[in-house]
Amino acid sequence: MTAEASTAGEAGARSPLSGLTGKWWFWAAVIVAVFAIVGLDVWGLDEDAENHKAILSFLGDGLVGFLKAVTEPVALFWLKLGFAIETSMTGLLVGVLYSLVALGFVLIYKASGMFNYSQGVMVLFAALTFVGLTEYGIPVILALVMAVGVMILFAIVVEFLILRHLVNQEQIILFMATIGLAFFLEGFGDTIWGSNVKKIPLDLPSGAMDWLTIGDWNVQVQWLDISAAATGAVMVVALAVFFNKTRIGRALRAVADDHQAALSVGINLRTIWIIVWSVAGIVALFAGIVWGAPSGVQFSLSLIALKALPVLLIGGFESIPGAIVAGLIVGFGEKIAEVSWGDSLGGGIENWFAFMLAMVFLVIRPQGLFGEKIIERV
Amino acid sequence: MTMTQQDAAAEAVPASADGEGHLAEHDATVREAHRRAIGDVMLEVDNITLRFGGVKAITDVSFNIREHEIFAIIGPNGAGKTSMLNVINGFYHPQDGTITYKGNVRQRMRPYEVAMGGIARTFQNVALFRGMSTLDNMMAGRLTKMHGAAERAFDKSLADIPVVNFLTYPFFWTADFLMDAFYWGPYQKEEERHRRRVEEIIEFLEIVDIRRTPVGRLPYGLQKRVELGRALAMDPQLLLLDEPMAGMNVEEKEDMSRFIIDVNEEFGTTMALIEHDMGVVMDISDRVVVLNYGRKLGEGTPDVVQKNQDVIDAYLGVSHDRPG
Repeated sequence: MTAEASTAGEAGARSPLSGLTGKWWFWAAVIVAVFAIVGLDVWGLDEDAENHKAILSFLGDGLVGFLKAVTEPVALFWLKLGFAIETSMTGLLVGVLYSLVALGFVLIYKASGMFNYSQGVMVLFAALTFVGLTEYGIPVILALVMAVGVMILFAIVVEFLILRHLVNQEQIILFMATIGLAFFLEGFGDTIWGSNVKKIPLDLPSGAMDWLTIGDWNVQVQWLDISAAATGAVMVVALAVFFNKTRIGRALRAVADDHQAALSVGINLRTIWIIVWSVAGIVALFAGIVWGAPSGVQFSLSLIALKALPVLLIGGFESIPGAIVAGLIVGFGEKIAEVSWGDSLGGGIENWFAFMLAMVFLVIRPQGLFGEKIIERV
Repeated sequence: MTMTQQDAAAEAVPASADGEGHLAEHDATVREAHRRAIGDVMLEVDNITLRFGGVKAITDVSFNIREHEIFAIIGPNGAGKTSMLNVINGFYHPQDGTITYKGNVRQRMRPYEVAMGGIARTFQNVALFRGMSTLDNMMAGRLTKMHGAAERAFDKSLADIPVVNFLTYPFFWTADFLMDAFYWGPYQKEEERHRRRVEEIIEFLEIVDIRRTPVGRLPYGLQKRVELGRALAMDPQLLLLDEPMAGMNVEEKEDMSRFIIDVNEEFGTTMALIEHDMGVVMDISDRVVVLNYGRKLGEGTPDVVQKNQDVIDAYLGVSHDRPG
């Protein structure tokens, strides 16, 4: 039996590159090659060299030119160390927030095998509820507690009206149900709280902090970014403790692993679903507040769910550490990409870089960084 | 069980050249020992009929399981054995018939309610929490037993007052949850108490060295044993075992038989098991019920069942040549 299990092939996770990507020497060779090419050309250039030739040189010089065009701006970027550190910090801080949004998806996916399309709208709805309540003159703290209460109520209603009727249905049916839920919630929030842009009534710190000075560059970090990231980090740590250390967390992991077995040891699935959706709702509330702080709460807030998608693909749908690490990778990567290649590609890289990265991951590692290995018996 | 205990057990039962023989010999005495202890009817299955659309999985089957006994359900493939366990366990709800558990006729119950009532089970295809360690799997088996201090206080004070209980419960729940998250005070004691019980079972099943291993990585035989451990961690009154020895080699089967007998002896757990290996069934069980095409063919002690002509025709005569 064991022998059979170990000889079962990994048929699901094949890709043309998968034979090479597991070999350390392949990556060593890639790195050496890239550095060799960069080293030959770039280190000799001074900082004022024009990067705009990048695309032209690709057309003219073929592969070597292309590699040069890709790597040269990155190398130049790191030469300006102070600027590089500042950009990286900003990227990482934004990355924490991506993780936060992605976590909402992961929680629900783990516990009920459901890709919750409505997570983005939940972010919007939760933030709207919070801001709307404060507009009625309710103190901020009380409004926050009430908004949490509303999200828990929402979880109970979702379980009662949707989840319990769709037990053991196909994943695509669950997915369709969440699409419906998203449309309903969008209209519902709009009807109750109105569609005007609302300002978050929190005195979040503004301005920038002088962090350190490198050479003649003064590295600054925005206070808003720091406070948002701190909130996100606290949420992430709290969730990790919740999942790994508590009795209910143990029950949640059990349900995520095997529904039938969980039932057989006395775990009530419905309670677990309510808890998971409540937690996802609370995560959505915090994500909504920190994302809504700079530009106000408005419909476009629900679109940050789109940004969570590549994070999920990179980190794996079922992994909490995956969501965290992938969020950081995306935040960091897109800032670096924007600064390095923005000029030669006409800017706006931030908007699609994460998706490109996700596509690369789909080819090389379809289950994501921390996703469960896909093993199929043949 | 420690090494010395193991050795003692080995000495008490002289190993013969023929493994099955020694098991049977050991077993005869064991059966004698706990047959005396067998008590009242614990679970009564009365005229159960289960249909899936037009297909009848179980037709009018009745039997009862007594306290402290090892009860076997046997029959050819598709006889409705697993369906029967699923009915007892609450996964399926029969169209006709009643189940009486500990003197009360059971209403339609969901599986987790059945589990909380003291009925544990294992599955034909191992159903463990694969991503979790052996220890975590077994601690999950104790989830229903763990109650926070606040919840206890709630049960004593407000639980019976309508409306008030509904409104205040979330606060007690939250208090427990926070104590749990910070691993503080009464909660720590509670966790330690349950952990101690789980460690006892781990030692009993001789899986001490794999307690931190994620169960997905364990060999099949050990996974079966961990699954038994998880069920035992629930301190069940009735334990349902769905083919506990399926796919095992002779050695693993002997180990498993020994554990089943030991559990029955030491904890007094009542067991209902499905098994295809007739040798094992006849050796370890006190009573046997035989199903075929969803109907009951016979019931009784292993000796009686082995001599029942219907049973021999349907099952024993063709699939097994063990001398009766």
